[in-house]
Amino acid sequence: MTSSAATRKFVTRAELGKSLGRVRRLPWTLVLGSVLLTIYILVAITGPLWAPFPYDRIGTGKPFAPPNAKNLLGTDQMGRDLFSRVVHGAGHELFLALTSTALAVVLGGFLGLLSGFVGGWFDEILMRLFEVLISIPVLVFALLVIMAAGLEASGNEWLLVGVVALVWLPRTGRMARSVAIDLVTRDYVLVARARGESAWSIVWRELLPNATGVLLVEFGVRAGYAPILIGSLGFLGLGVRPPTPEWGLMISENRANLVAAPYTVLAPALALSGLVISLNMFTDGLARVLGRQVKRF
Amino acid sequence: MVFARVVLLRALWASATLLIVSFIIFSAIEILPGDIAARVLGRYATEEMKAEFRRMRGLDRPMYVRYGEWLYGVVQGDFGDSLVSEFNVGEVILPKLKNTFLLALYAFILYIPFSIILGSLSAVFREGAVDTFLSTLTLIGLSIPEFVMGTLFAFIFGVVLGAFPVVVAINMAQSFGEAVRMMTLPAVTLAIAMAVYAIRMLRDNLIEVLDSDYVRMAILKGVPLPRVVLRHALPNALVPALNVTALNLAYLIGGVVVVEKVFAFPGIGTLLIDSVFLRDAPVVEGCALIISAVYILANLFADVMTVVLNPRLRTAR
Repeated sequence: MTSSAATRKFVTRAELGKSLGRVRRLPWTLVLGSVLLTIYILVAITGPLWAPFPYDRIGTGKPFAPPNAKNLLGTDQMGRDLFSRVVHGAGHELFLALTSTALAVVLGGFLGLLSGFVGGWFDEILMRLFEVLISIPVLVFALLVIMAAGLEASGNEWLLVGVVALVWLPRTGRMARSVAIDLVTRDYVLVARARGESAWSIVWRELLPNATGVLLVEFGVRAGYAPILIGSLGFLGLGVRPPTPEWGLMISENRANLVAAPYTVLAPALALSGLVISLNMFTDGLARVLGRQVKRF
Repeated sequence: MVFARVVLLRALWASATLLIVSFIIFSAIEILPGDIAARVLGRYATEEMKAEFRRMRGLDRPMYVRYGEWLYGVVQGDFGDSLVSEFNVGEVILPKLKNTFLLALYAFILYIPFSIILGSLSAVFREGAVDTFLSTLTLIGLSIPEFVMGTLFAFIFGVVLGAFPVVVAINMAQSFGEAVRMMTLPAVTLAIAMAVYAIRMLRDNLIEVLDSDYVRMAILKGVPLPRVVLRHALPNALVPALNVTALNLAYLIGGVVVVEKVFAFPGIGTLLIDSVFLRDAPVVEGCALIISAVYILANLFADVMTVVLNPRLRTAR
């Protein structure tokens, strides 16, 4: 909306139609994905303020109570309020997924661009190292990092951020490098080189702005997969520790009671899948707007 | 023989990768040797007992020496002894590996027709209701974590409908039919997890082929549409999709870990996770190495397939 419209207080029908039309021209996946993501983020930030119970308060109702007025989604084995736990979980999930992915894209992006620009043995060694790291299956790699840090430390959320970031790092690095290889032959990079600009400044001022689109899509793809990885680790008992309300862990904790209280599994499952779906829709839409391809492998 | 050289180079690089990966696996797991002694001897072990245990097991020697010994054993097929059961790791892993292989095979057999049929439908009716429905469905499919999908399937088909067992005790199966029925839920979960990628890929490829001149020619000649799709378009669209299939094969060996755990399936994934919690280092190393080796082989296969199927690449490098 334009600033003049805001100062006039009223929005004419034509203007509204215009801005609606602009939204309508965007891919529907981007619009729906953004709306859903905004809801998730709002819940993550404000949730702790309005959630009816703390996530670890036991005995808020009878164990395995079905949904009712007091416990909107019922309770789990210890009588903890499921609705509050799912709401509190949003913050954990988003924090873990976005921090780790951002870390990986920033570090990987920087290393990849630098590697593509510098070339030579630095590029060769770094890329070979990345290739080796990529050739370990994601979950096994995550497992190895956790074991190297010690199983006792595995409940630490920052360790989990580090694990996911480390798993993504070689993948984002390779992606950024392939972009840089293409960019370094462009005239403006040659000119910057001829001007005597330093490698830092070329990577920062010439390569990065032109690689943003690819890196953004890469961020979306990785961020979309991060909750799956974090949830899987939580499910296997290698992620965060109880009583943290992480959705994967909640599914694993309540799986044995699936028959007695299906909501205890269905609610976190829906919340987790919904988050990944909205991240993926957002990324697909973003990629279409930027004219990029989404590579999920 | 440029082609042979390319394949040979890739194979050499894959072996080198595997060697480095073996070192990463070993060092990640054995970086804290104190843990192993404490775990095996229990919490009342004295420092002397732990030291004696480390000496007996050779854990007090430098890591590179132990790595060398371990690797020397591995290349001869000896992965060392399990710390928990005193069996040789090979004896522990082999039956589980066989189970996992059967599960993966079953999943793969389900995956192929599933992706081809849905991918073709999506492409033939592109931008239509079927296509929109399927592409929404695949987007949702690739967003649902495998353990969530597996748990939901176990709930719907196992608990509510009672059609399939929720816990897959494959070793108890009396007949082949029973074994197949037991493995259906985990296999379907894995097949769907793979198919969502293949369907999207095949759709895009097939649309490209359907727009080509020879397909238009066939339609103008009056060839019926099903025949055009099956005989003219599909074979050419399948070629690039084969690469995704090879990559899916690589995914399968990693994704199987979580799905096995969901159904308590006695395969290598369940063994790996259980051994992590038991701190049975030799078994974890063996499992991780075998899974990585299969993964690397599948990726090598994908690489070679790409070269074989795309003649332009054969001379490029």
